Amino acid sequence: MERQIKPIYEALDIGSNKAAIVACNKLLKKHPKNELIKALKALALVRSQKVEESLVLCDEVLAAKPTDDGVLTALMHVLRGLGRYKDMVTMFEEAYKQQPTNEELAAQTFFANARILNWKAAQQVATRMHRQFQEDRYIYWGVISAILQANDSMTAPNMRTLLYKLAHRLVTSSPTPSYINADRFHLHLTILRELELFDEARTLLESDVGKSICSSSLACNELRRDIWRLQGLLKDEGAKAEMRITEQNDRNWLEFLSVLDATFSSLVSSAEPDEAAKTECTSQVAKTQELFAKLAEQDGQRDRSGLLALLELEKRARFHGISNDTDRLVDLMKRYFQEIGDKACCYEDLKPYLALEGEDATKWMSYLQSLTPSFTSTNDLRRLINSHKLLRQSLSTDDLTSSAESDRAALYTQQYLEGLKLGATLAPTELQPADDLAILAGNVFVSLWKISSDEKYLYNAAALLEFALTKSKQSFQTRLMLIRIYRLLGAPTVALEHYRFLQIKQVEHDTLSHSVLSRASTYSLAASGDLTFITECLEASQIYISNMQETGEYIARAFNGEKYSQIPEFIIFEDRLENSLQRDLVKIEHLRMRLTHEAISSDIIDMELIELKFVFERLHRDNRDFEILPDYQPRSSQKFNEQTLLFGKLEGSGWLRAYLKVYIRALQQGSDLDDTVEEKLLIGDRPKQSTPESKLTFKNRLRERTAEESNEVIVPSPSQKRTLDIFFKLTSDELVFVNYATALADWLEPYHDHARPPPSVVLAEAAKQTELKTGHPLKGVEIPPKNGNGSSNGSAKKDEETPLITEAPELVARYFDDMKTRFEAVKDSTSPSLTLHVATLIQEAFLLFVVETLRFKTPSVVKVHKLGALVQQFKPIRTNGLAVLREVSSTLIKRSERDATVEQRKLFVDACSPIIALNIDHDFVLGVAKKMTDARKKVTEGVAKGITRLCTSYN
Amino acid sequence: MSVLRPFTASDLFRFNNINLDLFTQTYATGFYLNYLSRWPDLCCAQTAPSGRMMGYILGKAEGNQQDWHGHITVLTVAPEYRRLGLASKLIALLERVSDATYRGFFVDLYVRCTNDVAIAMYEELGYSVYRRVREYYDSLGGTRGRDEEDAFDMRKPLSRDAGRRSVRPNGREMLVSRFEVS
Repeated sequence: MERQIKPIYEALDIGSNKAAIVACNKLLKKHPKNELIKALKALALVRSQKVEESLVLCDEVLAAKPTDDGVLTALMHVLRGLGRYKDMVTMFEEAYKQQPTNEELAAQTFFANARILNWKAAQQVATRMHRQFQEDRYIYWGVISAILQANDSMTAPNMRTLLYKLAHRLVTSSPTPSYINADRFHLHLTILRELELFDEARTLLESDVGKSICSSSLACNELRRDIWRLQGLLKDEGAKAEMRITEQNDRNWLEFLSVLDATFSSLVSSAEPDEAAKTECTSQVAKTQELFAKLAEQDGQRDRSGLLALLELEKRARFHGISNDTDRLVDLMKRYFQEIGDKACCYEDLKPYLALEGEDATKWMSYLQSLTPSFTSTNDLRRLINSHKLLRQSLSTDDLTSSAESDRAALYTQQYLEGLKLGATLAPTELQPADDLAILAGNVFVSLWKISSDEKYLYNAAALLEFALTKSKQSFQTRLMLIRIYRLLGAPTVALEHYRFLQIKQVEHDTLSHSVLSRASTYSLAASGDLTFITECLEASQIYISNMQETGEYIARAFNGEKYSQIPEFIIFEDRLENSLQRDLVKIEHLRMRLTHEAISSDIIDMELIELKFVFERLHRDNRDFEILPDYQPRSSQKFNEQTLLFGKLEGSGWLRAYLKVYIRALQQGSDLDDTVEEKLLIGDRPKQSTPESKLTFKNRLRERTAEESNEVIVPSPSQKRTLDIFFKLTSDELVFVNYATALADWLEPYHDHARPPPSVVLAEAAKQTELKTGHPLKGVEIPPKNGNGSSNGSAKKDEETPLITEAPELVARYFDDMKTRFEAVKDSTSPSLTLHVATLIQEAFLLFVVETLRFKTPSVVKVHKLGALVQQFKPIRTNGLAVLREVSSTLIKRSERDATVEQRKLFVDACSPIIALNIDHDFVLGVAKKMTDARKKVTEGVAKGITRLCTSYN
Repeated sequence: MSVLRPFTASDLFRFNNINLDLFTQTYATGFYLNYLSRWPDLCCAQTAPSGRMMGYILGKAEGNQQDWHGHITVLTVAPEYRRLGLASKLIALLERVSDATYRGFFVDLYVRCTNDVAIAMYEELGYSVYRRVREYYDSLGGTRGRDEEDAFDMRKPLSRDAGRRSVRPNGREMLVSRFEVS
């Protein structure tokens, strides 16, 4: 038998599922009852997307309650593929029940519970395991299960303490002490910290073995430091840190922070320190100063800790009002610059100290201004770059006039070109030391664009940064800036080209795909058959699938290897990816594009609906990385990231929820799947609700609108204004769209509810389809015998009266006309981005109308339910929508013809005269102009053609 | 001046400034989780006081008997934080843990034979070439032929190897095929 099964495994291993199915079928003829072959066939089926057939087989084998290792492993993969993690628990539990001495089965039962974060059950399994197998580690499995249950946000506070106490009892019950391994020790300390059992913690930590663990385990030492701090032993910790610094030459900044905290401990301990405390602190400061000064002297340029610690000391002394030297802070900053100014990190290091006022600020600025630029070595060059960054950071709004900024842009560009000479001989894979000057100039050009709203500055930025890339191909910072700029300019394909050069992989998709996929449907040509952005969405989403399938494995591994410190971290990691905001922003963009590309049918409607309902239950985590954008804008101004957001609005969870509601409501109305039907047909587990339970029903939550989603006007104070601008996440055009969609859904809801076939009819139809496909009836669905008024075409007549037909609401009836006016107003804006934004929103509104009215296209439905008067009202809206879209399309075509002409290129090149005058080659700039204008033409024309195509299909 | 702390799974959301650099590979998440689930104490990161990541090291313990040792799998520092001595601090930590916790005989690492800067740094830190592994890397398409594809296996003895048996003076001449190494 084993010999016969081997080819099946081999086929599965290399991914030829078809061959595996054929081999299984052959063997099943001879051994029709064999569980392993059936399980393997189910696996091959689920991997070939034949879900229904796989389900039947899988359930068959499960019903037999298998215990064989091979069968269980195969089924485990099948269940994982089907998302049925709860069934996995049942399967292993059953097997373990039958073989209570089988340690492997016990462990699998534990892991299956861990997989669904059912820590309570996991802890019980661990207890049983310890009783049966007498291994200490199972005590610890129970310990961490109790802790993880305690840490769950759904656990009540008093329960939390109880669970920690249980964990503590378990640890102390272990026959071997926790310190025999660092991870057990770590776990033990975590419990003691939570329960504030500090004496016990100190006894452990001050033992020789405790000290030894902390000296080689950073994680344990972190906990130790924390426990000391919580006990208020700041002085003690400070003294320890000082020893580590002076005797062991430790330069971990955490040690310096401990010394600093100790220095000010006499002031921090009481809310209003008296004079005595102040005097004591002053003398402490003097001592610490001496220590740091000595270190700074000793280390010189080798290590900057001492110097930076001096700065931090002075900053804190000032904060507490016990600094006795008004010059010291700026003097220390100058010294820092003199010694560390030739390192790239100098700017970042000094950034926290730059918020100077009055005389300090003047002194510091004039010091920086007094420096003479030099280009003799890369060290000099870095010093120059640092001085620019530091100066720029402190510029006030008054300094940011357009003429002053223009001068700066010219200066940085000119110095950049000068600095390039230093890197002339570098290999092409190296970064140019002068890169940051180009990046600085790029920042200034963007700031100029913001001040003037004149696009010519973005042209300069693009051309200069493109030039910088020819010298420093690997500068990802330059590329990331260009991606933003090209999207602003309405040249999305060029942005995408740069993005692809970065070779974003794996988890980077989650943090960086926002660069090109944020509101990507604006630029999508999916309607005319170009799937570039759809593909990009799918690629970026791969990481979420692999996370769901793999991360759990590593949690099991960490249990097996007893690396308890990692388990909570892995769970957080998995959760952050699973509930990633970016994941579902991409999901929405994908849906918006998909609806333009595929014919809108009930299949799409049902599938997307179920997925979006899952998404709606998630509590989202924002993992997007915006810090990666190089930002050298002054403190007083917006950051580069904020300045270059498309339409000035960042999509956040408010934006996502607004869109989710729009689509869920529309799809729900278009779909025959009501909740009872969905419950029966759903394969796999429902997601664990991660949002705090709302008192409202799902239906009401869909209708609810928070201030975050609508752009309700809260009158902001000037200081709040900047944050609030970002806070209002929908653009004004999106808000109009959302209002339209809501009005449309409110209007049509009663008619959909009336005309939707009853669940029994829908289920009967589904059962029929399944049986046709798999030859087996649909499980768990009983088909009631047909009564007189049930008919299979879904137009069952209800007893209730047809709801009163009302007129289309204003917002719906006027939407297309209003948007036509709006489009007229933006059709000639310099960058096509805004034009396309409005155009694609009109298109989206039309498609949403198609989704909402699909049900009423079937004449029998209209007739049976007497909805003729309603359908009459659709016609003018639809016709008007189509007419407006046709006009939009032809306007866009005209625009696209203007986009890539000699005149446009000349305009671009002329606008770049400031950098051309500084010797950036004219023809090079012309090349950039061509690239940008061609990309503009491509997207405008493509969107226009897509709209025309949609008009034809839905005419 | 940097914070030395354990590398954690969530650092994968923060390491772009290091990993977008050409010479730093981004692996599947399983790669990192595997290291963390087995040798978390040999994986650590350095961050700036602001929390920004500066560099990290990922290592493992492997080998049998006299060959039991710590291995540096990944060592990387973001471009803007180079020349600050960060790498040597990360290595020192890995050596300390390999010595005290794992009781290894030595620490080793592979480096491209053309990476003169790195080789010089490792030599300064007490590492020497133990053998040259043929065709360990893909070619970069440069002009230095064999040197580009071959790797030096460099080692540094730890306290347990009192007799310094894990190093030898003529390592550069000891050629082995990549199939003979783990």
